[in-house]
Amino acid sequence: MRAPKPTDHFDVVVVGAGPAGSAAAIVAARAGLNVLLIERGEYPGAKNVSGAAFYGSAMLNKLIPGWWEQAPVERYICRRDVILISPTTAVSLDFRSASPDYAAPPYNAFTILRPKFDRWFAAQAEAAGAFLLTSTVVDGVIKERGKVVGVKVRRDDGEIRADLVIACDGANSFLAQQAGLQRRLETHELSLGVKEVLGLEEAAIRERFNLSGNEGMVLEYVGAITDKARGGAFLYTNRNSLSLGVIAQVSSLVETGKRPYELLELFKAHPAVAPLLRGAKLREYSAHLIPESGWEMMPKLVASGMLVAGDAAGFCLATGLYIEGINYAMQSGMAAGEAAIEAHRVRDFTRHTLERYTELLWPYNVFTDFRAYRHAPHFVNGERLQNLYPEMAAASFERLFRVDGNAKQKILPLYLKAMRQSGAKPRHLIADLLQAARSYLW
Amino acid sequence: MRLAVCLSLVPDPATIDVDPLTGEIDADRTLYIMDPADAAALELALRLRGEGDTVIALTVGPAAAEPVLREALAAGADGALRLWDESRSATKPAVTSLLLATALRNEGLPDLVFCGWRSLARGSGKIPALLGEYLDWPVVTDIARLEIQAARVHFHRRLARGDRSEGEVTMPAVLAIAADGVRLRYASLPQLMQACRTAIPMRDLPDLGLSPLDLSFPASTVHAVTPPRPRPRTIFIPDSSLSPHERIGQILSAGAAPKSNTVLEGSPDEVADAIIAFLQARGFLEQPA
Repeated sequence: MRAPKPTDHFDVVVVGAGPAGSAAAIVAARAGLNVLLIERGEYPGAKNVSGAAFYGSAMLNKLIPGWWEQAPVERYICRRDVILISPTTAVSLDFRSASPDYAAPPYNAFTILRPKFDRWFAAQAEAAGAFLLTSTVVDGVIKERGKVVGVKVRRDDGEIRADLVIACDGANSFLAQQAGLQRRLETHELSLGVKEVLGLEEAAIRERFNLSGNEGMVLEYVGAITDKARGGAFLYTNRNSLSLGVIAQVSSLVETGKRPYELLELFKAHPAVAPLLRGAKLREYSAHLIPESGWEMMPKLVASGMLVAGDAAGFCLATGLYIEGINYAMQSGMAAGEAAIEAHRVRDFTRHTLERYTELLWPYNVFTDFRAYRHAPHFVNGERLQNLYPEMAAASFERLFRVDGNAKQKILPLYLKAMRQSGAKPRHLIADLLQAARSYLW
Repeated sequence: MRLAVCLSLVPDPATIDVDPLTGEIDADRTLYIMDPADAAALELALRLRGEGDTVIALTVGPAAAEPVLREALAAGADGALRLWDESRSATKPAVTSLLLATALRNEGLPDLVFCGWRSLARGSGKIPALLGEYLDWPVVTDIARLEIQAARVHFHRRLARGDRSEGEVTMPAVLAIAADGVRLRYASLPQLMQACRTAIPMRDLPDLGLSPLDLSFPASTVHAVTPPRPRPRTIFIPDSSLSPHERIGQILSAGAAPKSNTVLEGSPDEVADAIIAFLQARGFLEQPA
């Protein structure tokens, strides 16, 4: 048989054909670099688990003008609800906009089904000249004299040499850990998302969610949905299906001994959710890790011969107000692609040159957003915010709207009473308000 | 020895996503894979290949069918050839096998042609039979195992109810493989990359020296469909020499004789003898010589 030898030399090897990997491959391949994009699934998106709501339409429009006309999108998002719930009650903030920013090209956001979308996006990378290798698992990086010089794949003679490896291998990135960029993540830094796709007729979706045409809606839930476990839930409308799921911090799943599917069943049975799902038929079930701690857990992003982007770099912004990851994955992928081009121009792939990547993450608004909301993940996963306040809000609204023959109370005493009953201490409340202000206001 | 393998691309059953509400198939999600029987045929051909032998993979299909040939090249096939008539969107088995037979003639007839037996797509099993007809070669279907012994193929065929039959055929021959347990080897990285880059040669009708008229077969029409006749049920007939009461009893018990027990009593030696005699009488023990 043939001797094991480096079969090919590439300028860039991108590991993982998700939004980050394909974006990096598109940018680098368009500049004429010799790019290999490796995907472990049978096709890009085959292994993917994601909501998915995509908030990066305008950004992607710069990379692929008019992308929504060719890409498999489900609905454009014009309604967003943030809902606080207790076991019996729901209090929601409902946002709806028909402004051109939301309802006209390039639109603000779309719901997408990732198995279809990722396949399309990787095809754009192929069209740009990248070489896509599917059904191939990358086992690790090859290091020589402290420098990453390629990857090892799980096939015979599976060594691939490259000037630069861009690791876009998702949450809990083994490549980043192997290269010594990321430590082992703690259970409180990761969340587990369990998700279902339920089939529902288009007409029923329009009626139930008050939508017309191709309008779509995103609902995000905080509170009793995850029982005592810390996390939240989401419900997205697709063209003729609903994506819904529960996200819970891994450490709190361990503490409470709750199983993820129990939380999902609890969510689906909630009186505010169940009527929306009536008659919907299960089509898919899946689960995945989500790196939610943002700024705090970000690994070192650059090593000699290697960059980390997307979920692998922890670019998932979960602040309660925003749950976004795909757009940051693409932005970081594009930044990594540009850094690759610049490094290729000077033929220098040492850490020093590649640091350009971290500089580019500022103008690409990745670092800016994560830094601005760096306190939010901790705040959102706080015990009181997760369980106490939604319940308090629900209880006080319940009291406010209840007519039982007794004299009506004004709002402040009513809230104070609800606070006392739920055992919230004023000191905590003020501390949390300050924390919230620090997280979101300035 | 020259071996040719005919491959086809079929929808992966695991990716056929039927919308539970409308009953429609979501075509965007369907993936196409090499037919598992074809993959087994290719694997067996690769295992038979010795020093100086060649394995050529062929498929009939549009450019979208190329991945099946690339997979064959990655697994180690020595060559690949795609056949297609651009004016068509699909081919009937008769057309497919005529294209294959013509191409095999043009490229120099091989010693053996391997096919998968009953593809996942149509599963009519017509291709090997038609191919044998066009090449005027013997056809063996349902092959589970084979060996080559001096220009003869020794094979095991799979029959109904788990039976097997053995036989031999002289080369050249068309072999339809139904080896369930055989998986195509996992391609090495260099071969896979090489296969992805190779340009796959294509032959259309003029290349093959065929005219569209050659491929215009009369449309086949189904006149009647007769399901196989169910086997007649055997009905128990009671013994007419018995009394009516006993006959009713027999009918009610549907001929099953009631269980009878005999309890043996006596010394252990006597009982042992009686048991041995009983077993011998029923044929469970051999009579002592």
